[in-house]
Amino acid sequence: MARSRADLLDLFEKTATEIVEKEFKGIDETTAISQLGIDSLGMLEIVGAMERQLKIQIPDESLAGIQTVQDLLNVVEKRQTA
Amino acid sequence: MPKFVAPTLVDAIKELSHDTLRGFVFVRPDGTERFCSFANIHEEATRRGAHLAAKGLVKGDRLAIVVPDGDEFVLSFLGAVYAGVVPVPIYPQLSFKNVDAYHDTVAHIAKASGAAMLLTTTATRPYVDPVLPRVDNLRFGVVTVDEHAAPAPGPLDVKVTGDDLGFLQFTSGSTSRPKGVAVTHANLAANSEAFMIHGLGKDSSFDKGVSWLPLFHDMGLIGFVIGPLFTNIPVVFLPTASFVRAPRIWLDTIHRHRGTITYAPNFAYALVSKRLKEKDVAGLDLSCMRITGCGAEPIQAKTLREFADKLAPAGFKPTSFLPSYGMAEATLAITFVQHGTGVRSDCIDAKALQTHDAKAVAPGEGTQELVNCGRAFPDHELAIVDEAGTHLADRQVGQIITRGPSVTSGYFEEPELTAEAWKDGWLYTGDLGYTVNGELFICGRLKDIIIIRGRNFYPSDIEWVISELPGVRRGNVVAFGADVDGEEQLFVCAEAFQSDAAGLTDAIQNAVTSQIGISVHKVEIVAQGGLPRTSSGKPQRRKTKQMFLEGAFAKPKAGANDAATA
Repeated sequence: MARSRADLLDLFEKTATEIVEKEFKGIDETTAISQLGIDSLGMLEIVGAMERQLKIQIPDESLAGIQTVQDLLNVVEKRQTA
Repeated sequence: MPKFVAPTLVDAIKELSHDTLRGFVFVRPDGTERFCSFANIHEEATRRGAHLAAKGLVKGDRLAIVVPDGDEFVLSFLGAVYAGVVPVPIYPQLSFKNVDAYHDTVAHIAKASGAAMLLTTTATRPYVDPVLPRVDNLRFGVVTVDEHAAPAPGPLDVKVTGDDLGFLQFTSGSTSRPKGVAVTHANLAANSEAFMIHGLGKDSSFDKGVSWLPLFHDMGLIGFVIGPLFTNIPVVFLPTASFVRAPRIWLDTIHRHRGTITYAPNFAYALVSKRLKEKDVAGLDLSCMRITGCGAEPIQAKTLREFADKLAPAGFKPTSFLPSYGMAEATLAITFVQHGTGVRSDCIDAKALQTHDAKAVAPGEGTQELVNCGRAFPDHELAIVDEAGTHLADRQVGQIITRGPSVTSGYFEEPELTAEAWKDGWLYTGDLGYTVNGELFICGRLKDIIIIRGRNFYPSDIEWVISELPGVRRGNVVAFGADVDGEEQLFVCAEAFQSDAAGLTDAIQNAVTSQIGISVHKVEIVAQGGLPRTSSGKPQRRKTKQMFLEGAFAKPKAGANDAATA
């Protein structure tokens, strides 16, 4: 079953904390990825962990141009319902 | 002339063109696989080469290639080579990276190579198109690979020789703008013979490569496409992004395909140790791994030991580790350790190293462990020289120089930059090291060396100490020396949140003082993602220093942590 938007944000926060080993409390959808202090390698690791949790696959092309947490969750949400 | 391989890549593939059972496997992002036999590769290269020729490209023209898919990239690259056209690989737009910086790089490489055409895919084209108004040399414009899907429009009749350019390998190094290393077929043949035959002792009856390395860099392209084609070795390719998303796919693929040869930079071994769970290891049989190569960045013995410990239950043999040293200017490989000998390290006195003396000592306080990177290949030479160019004895630290048939003739249409590095038939690598009985140990880069009150410090050592601190990620820190009132002082730029800045500044000061023995003149905490990086993601030291001196760094923004504590 597709998860709610709030659940996805929560999952992102938890996954980021686990991968980067740093607290990420207080993230909201408008937070810019560049503000999180996670390099592109780290972001790709997070995407991979979320893909496994949600049992989805996100094509590389759809990750280009992502700037905010909102952009990322939009892509994830779209794959969930795809 | 190579003794054991064909004189050109074209001749090498033609020798394999009867083989319909062995070849390359390309794993796609969704896990499905495409098998291309050596016979298919020959047919595809011929067909794609004929399309390029029919479009009007002639021998010697350059073709910029921005193609993210492994199979399409390799076959397009080889098609150009068959047509005598010089491929110029450009890395595709990576996710979560600065788009403007990417466009600058593509425009620079397309112009500097004088490319006549840019080949891309329909999906990638939107990321390349914005650059086109800035490049006026693309006389055949932009073409997508599906435009070459039809049968060959005519015969391909181009004679390629060893002296012809094989491709241009653009390399950013740690300095300024990327430069195109001009690699000939003779260079490719010589280096392939060196690392595949003399280095790896390849055996075509059972060896099989497995690689997720990017194909637009020398280690992935020459190490796993060109070298194996010259020496008849099948390879399984994984997308780089698939490895980063789920590192275990690398080991799963080796297990499933019974891979015997793989290669990766140090960081990848650390990533596997960190991410792989014990239950993941349980199902793996990695006893097939004969060569586990390590190169492209400083090798940490500790990282490789942790990897070996983690994978011991899967039958991984630590003796399969093969530390090595190389650079694009020398085609790829310069030194390899004897295969099967694993990681051997040297413990030296950190204080003596500051006076160019690599003094062997027992491990302990004030010592440094360096990994043996092996010796030069047959028909190639390696030497260590001081600033006057005098050859140094064993255990004296100086610049590493090399010569031999793998060493390229220079950077494409960059005579000044070429003259700086190629002198009297030797390539001056700009790397510092020493030898012991002809075996090489790397200490750092020449120009980045920090000299404080007559003592030499290597930035990589200082960065390593800092990157061990909590809150700092490897590769998010740069150390350099700069003049303050006529005296060189140590500066550190690290990426962090504003909320961490004060504590981190103190922690960095403490760590460097206690472990390196010098104090940091100034710690600059910069915005996340603020350090300039190479295409492979390594921070550029010299550019960082320049930006720092110009006061060009943005202050860190209030991060998520700040919002929580506010």
